[in-house]
Amino acid sequence: MKTFPILAVFIVWSAAAFAADQTPVKPSPKLAAMLDARDETGKPIITPEQRTYYEGLDDNLKGLLNHAADKETISRAEHLSILLSLNLSPQKLDVLLQNNCVLCHSDSANHTPDTLFVAGPSANAPAAVPMNLKEVVEDVHFRHGISCAGCHGGDPTADLGHDFVKEWPEKDRDKNRAWVVQFCARCHADPTKMHDFNPALPTDQLAKFKTSPHGHRLLDLHDDRAPSCVSCHGVHGIRPAKDPQSKVYAQRVPETCGACHASATVMAGITRADGSPMPTTQLAEYKKSVHGRALLERGDLGAPRCNTCHGNHAASPPGVAQVSKSCSICHSANASLFDGSKHKVAFDQHNWPECGKCHSNHNIAKTSDSMLSTANGGLCGDCHRQNAKDNPECIQAADYFHHTIAQLDDARKRITADSEKFAARGLDVEPISNQLNDLTDALKKSRTYVHSFSRSSFQQVAAAGEQAIGKSDELTSNARGEFKFRQYGLAVSIAAIGLLMLMIYLKLRQMER
Amino acid sequence: MGWIDRRYQVTPLFEFLRHKEVPIGSHWMGWYYLGGVTMFFFVVQIITGVLLLMYYQPGEATSYESIRILTTKVPFGWLIRSIHSWSAHLMIVSLLLHMFSTMMLKAYRPPREITWVSGYLLFLLTLGFGFSGYLLPWNKLAYFATTVGTNIVKSVPLLGDWLLQVMRGGQDVSINTLYRFFAGHVVILPLAFVGVIGLHLLLIQRQGMAPPVGTTTAPRGMKFFPSFALRDLLLWLACLMLLITFAVFLPYGPGIPGMDWELGDKADPFAPAYPGIKPEWYFLWEYQLLKEFPPHLFGLEGPQICLFVIAILLGIWAIIPWLDRRAYRNLNSPAFTDFGWAAILFLTYLTLMGWDIGAKSGSDDPTSLQKSAHVCALWTLAAGAVVIIVRGWRFKHRWFILTGAALLQVAVHGLLGLPYLVAGVISAGAAFVIITAMFLLGRASRSSAG
Repeated sequence: MKTFPILAVFIVWSAAAFAADQTPVKPSPKLAAMLDARDETGKPIITPEQRTYYEGLDDNLKGLLNHAADKETISRAEHLSILLSLNLSPQKLDVLLQNNCVLCHSDSANHTPDTLFVAGPSANAPAAVPMNLKEVVEDVHFRHGISCAGCHGGDPTADLGHDFVKEWPEKDRDKNRAWVVQFCARCHADPTKMHDFNPALPTDQLAKFKTSPHGHRLLDLHDDRAPSCVSCHGVHGIRPAKDPQSKVYAQRVPETCGACHASATVMAGITRADGSPMPTTQLAEYKKSVHGRALLERGDLGAPRCNTCHGNHAASPPGVAQVSKSCSICHSANASLFDGSKHKVAFDQHNWPECGKCHSNHNIAKTSDSMLSTANGGLCGDCHRQNAKDNPECIQAADYFHHTIAQLDDARKRITADSEKFAARGLDVEPISNQLNDLTDALKKSRTYVHSFSRSSFQQVAAAGEQAIGKSDELTSNARGEFKFRQYGLAVSIAAIGLLMLMIYLKLRQMER
Repeated sequence: MGWIDRRYQVTPLFEFLRHKEVPIGSHWMGWYYLGGVTMFFFVVQIITGVLLLMYYQPGEATSYESIRILTTKVPFGWLIRSIHSWSAHLMIVSLLLHMFSTMMLKAYRPPREITWVSGYLLFLLTLGFGFSGYLLPWNKLAYFATTVGTNIVKSVPLLGDWLLQVMRGGQDVSINTLYRFFAGHVVILPLAFVGVIGLHLLLIQRQGMAPPVGTTTAPRGMKFFPSFALRDLLLWLACLMLLITFAVFLPYGPGIPGMDWELGDKADPFAPAYPGIKPEWYFLWEYQLLKEFPPHLFGLEGPQICLFVIAILLGIWAIIPWLDRRAYRNLNSPAFTDFGWAAILFLTYLTLMGWDIGAKSGSDDPTSLQKSAHVCALWTLAAGAVVIIVRGWRFKHRWFILTGAALLQVAVHGLLGLPYLVAGVISAGAAFVIITAMFLLGRASRSSAG
């Protein structure tokens, strides 16, 4: 009998413990005062949305807010309102509330606009150093726990401290930006340090940068226009390259490079290796090119952008010999055919960039079969008349390529149109579609095999196309025959039914006369 | 003959058929043939359906493939499928003509109420055939249209979710849905249809064709056998001619949206639904009406109210024989003729809008829809004007309140740009006020005369 009271006491006790455990964290008196504060017009400073956001926070975050209010790192309702208005995810708010630097530097009562973080793009902060609270919490370093102190020094958990790191230049930071790359390299060139954060990230950026014209200009010539790490990656909001909002995300690379390379002011006086002035048309040309349109209009992230051919940290113009190497990263079939061709030798002799000679570089247009024309204005014809007059068999080969490809293409269009017509008539077009696939395949291969500049190699792949045309023609003729049969069948059926109808009609007339 | 007659007494039956007559009057005899034409298309459906069944294999990996093989490899398979599809659509066309002509001529009046109701059931069953048959090829279009179509069931109060599950055989349209639709299409619906059509035909044979309203003396008659039956046969042969011609030259339909049965790609439940999925043409009015309802109205869901409105309209249609008190007394009832035309104009406007007549193709922006409504309104108003003029001039009709209300709604929505429901309330209100006023004035004048 005694077990019952013991059990009851246990149940009451555990329920009470459970309830105590569930008691939500209440705002401390200081925080409560801020939450309820009103401005001079009597309007609440904390908006209902901010209030709802606060209510939705977990106990840990509410506790951190209480702590900040009690320690007076948050002392004004206006300041609290800014922090709640950011609508941060719990993880990010957690990082923010444990960072006294940002907490202090986001209170407008304590700071001048150049050192004040605001909730959005700041009009007063220098353009190069954004002071955007929403951005800073997105920063990849911030998210890995390297907050302000990681670069600036000091102790973010201490009440107050501006103990800058020793690498941080105390003055003239903007005059010579060469220190920036060394500064970032403190960690990014140190495999041991980087291993703690992102073991997959290379640590050779500085070494590569030093080899690039950018590096040479910044580190050796001390040219202020030369880019440092922050020029491309940003500051106070650096995101990983895979983040679509990163300045070095695939689709944003052209604009990032173009910020300097499309600017005549920035590029003034800078010359290429041959002494000619550095052009500023690359971005505009790239945007119109097949690659630019694939990347920027179709969103094809596999399409090449500036760094695909020029490199990232070691960015430099590819030399004549390297052009085809860049192109062959993707266009490997064309490149290997070209490498085995007669043109390879001739181009090397003339010191021509292999692919670039016919297809250009930034401004690569969609290829057309008319490039093979030997008439005036045709690429093959013009070049050969100028540079290889003594080889009439080349002109014949080009004519053969052009003629065969045009024939395959015309046949493909004709058979496609026929096939669509037959499909609409309800005929079985699957065998024709199969032949069309073979033909399309052969046409594609033929266009590729032009790069072998060899008649016999080309002939082998084009022959498959010619075979497909023959089979398709036979199939389309069969389909036409089948449709004729249907029409004749219909005519006979209609005649038979018509005759029956006539007989019934005559019978009716006879009956009702 | 004598042997059978001794056992089964068939002579009275033959006697009955020999004396059976079809009334000839001042009316056009053509309306009497529409039921027969509908039945002819139904018989074609049964024959071609059985032939399709010999090759069709329901299943995830076979439904689409078997239809593909049937139409491309099997001799005359293309013809059978094409005739089945054409005949389905033409059956609905002739059924609608039959139903509306019966309604306008008041053939539903006593003693033929049950014939009307059985015909009404056949109409619902035919729509069921159309809806269930559509999914069977298991192609992309059918899959998404069925997903959208079955979704409507969800709006049924209380039972909606359960009904949807029963209909789909799960949460989503899947191969289980196809099995259900297949069973429905080839077993359940045909059994029900044959039963109801048996009753429908029995009643017609027993009572004969309805003579025109107002006929009191025994009408002149045309012998059913053989005169009328041979004429029926003549028309059926003409229909057969039409069917095979269409099947050869337009094997996938006339190219009108909602009347197109090209197989296309196989259904892929994981593919995203593409925009502009529309049902078959005979469901377009319902689809469009659903679109005209806002998501929420009077604290209820828009589709729920829409479904309720459709149920009310269909319910009224079913019990017309008991509502039409003038036809009951064998008198002309112009109000119900007007009701029939108002229904046709109501359906026409919605169907035209559902077809996006006058809209930019594939565009769903409000200006394009407004433009479409404008064009559809003009067409419907023109059709309405023709109807009113012909009825007034040729048939001396003077009762146009409901047609007028239907056209007023079209004008207010399509030309003035007010919401469809607001336009509906305005025109229904106007019709109600006028009819009430007429009723009161009529009573007043009768009492003063008395």
